[in-house]
Amino acid sequence: MKNILVIAKNTFRETIRDRILYGILGFSFLYIALSILLAKVSLGEIVILKSFGLAGIYIFGSIVTIFLGASIIHKEIERRTLYFVLSKPVSRLDVVLGKFLGLFAAVTLVVFIMTIVYLSVVLANGGGFDAPGLLAIFFQTLEMGLFTALLVFFSTIATPLTSTIAAVMILLGGHSISSVLRTASQIGGPLYRFIQAVYYVFPNLEKFNIRNIAVHNIPVPGTSIILTVSYATLYIAMLLYLANFFLKRKEL
Amino acid sequence: MIEVRHLKKSYGKRVVVDDLTFTVRKGGVFGFLGQNGAGKTTTIKMLVGISNPDQGTITIGGKDSSDLSMRENIGFMPEAPYFYDRLTGLEFLSFCGELFAKHKSRSEYEEVLKRLGIYDARDRAINTYSKGMKQRLGFAQVLVNDPDYVFLDEPLDGLDPLGRREIKGIILGLKKRGKTVFFNSHILYDTEEICDEIGVIHEGKLLYSGPVKKFCDGWPLEKRFVETIEKQFVTGNS
Repeated sequence: MKNILVIAKNTFRETIRDRILYGILGFSFLYIALSILLAKVSLGEIVILKSFGLAGIYIFGSIVTIFLGASIIHKEIERRTLYFVLSKPVSRLDVVLGKFLGLFAAVTLVVFIMTIVYLSVVLANGGGFDAPGLLAIFFQTLEMGLFTALLVFFSTIATPLTSTIAAVMILLGGHSISSVLRTASQIGGPLYRFIQAVYYVFPNLEKFNIRNIAVHNIPVPGTSIILTVSYATLYIAMLLYLANFFLKRKEL
Repeated sequence: MIEVRHLKKSYGKRVVVDDLTFTVRKGGVFGFLGQNGAGKTTTIKMLVGISNPDQGTITIGGKDSSDLSMRENIGFMPEAPYFYDRLTGLEFLSFCGELFAKHKSRSEYEEVLKRLGIYDARDRAINTYSKGMKQRLGFAQVLVNDPDYVFLDEPLDGLDPLGRREIKGIILGLKKRGKTVFFNSHILYDTEEICDEIGVIHEGKLLYSGPVKKFCDGWPLEKRFVETIEKQFVTGNS
């Protein structure tokens, strides 16, 4: 456990010093400023503001996750910095878990900063303390945790470019798989069974999307929260298990 | 003592290390010599536990190399190391040190940097370090746990004469302190100066293991090395 936290701390430190992060954060603040302007010209402005704000946190959080995560382990293998670590009493599982925790901590920090700005903007525009929005951001952070684990996994088997492309495809597919399944159920037959199999394997990212509910202040049932957290935890555990499986077999 | 018995490693169909058997006595400096692609780096990676052998056993200080606890007592510097560029020298050394069960205080890490002459650069980002400074930082992380066994992959490669002298001085200093040093090299002149024993590997096979003086037999090491390798080519072709 100690080595996992040491690696996580090192990964976090390295990650938050990446200048790309500050560029992306800068763009996110610009986006929030633009959304304030957009809300001013719309009727029901607070709903528009919240929608754009939450969407912005999601988009920029995802960009940060993919940018930082796509090469997280691959880079260490290519540059042989992993040799420093694995020649010490550290297992490959320690590396996988440490890298995941460190990167996820960095992503969570970015989301936290954007959340503070978002909540301040909503408060300043008469929206009060946006508790449902906070829940939506929590769910988004869970999704980014799943994505971080996905990228750690890809990073053990693919190049950064392949990891990035695969991650973007899964991001898009994961949000549309439910509606594709619904359409396929009307067609039936082997296609439906195939889509059903993909549905159960593919991460269903729509489970983490409660933005529409949050902006209209509709409460989310407690069981839904528990199920979503459990789903994320199990999927993350499975991805990290696979990452360790492949890293153990990789010739460095 | 380091004991290697019948070590074998293949990448696909290509046998890279073929039935290596040798012993490195405690407290000595052992130079593992060979041309590029001979199997030196593959061997050292198996010794320090980064790579797993297909066959054979490695024992270091009485512990099998697959035992994670064995690595509490070793230090390893890879060839032409890259570092975490955005960390400072002290942060990197602390990170390496904290991976051991018995880790040190900040002042003890600073002492290690002082010993290697890069204390003044401890709070600078590693990407501002010169090649020589990075080499010394690589040595610092080797010594951070005060290991009994030190493994170095091409420690003299790419250094100017002054840099090589410094590194040779460090290696001899380690020997004086009773450490066992195993290093790969294809720079034979420098190797001859500092080694007690050598191993010569060619195409994965061990051609010689033992005292360097016995191998040289009064001739320069480079001459004897070339002769030994060329004899293999002749034997292989006949």
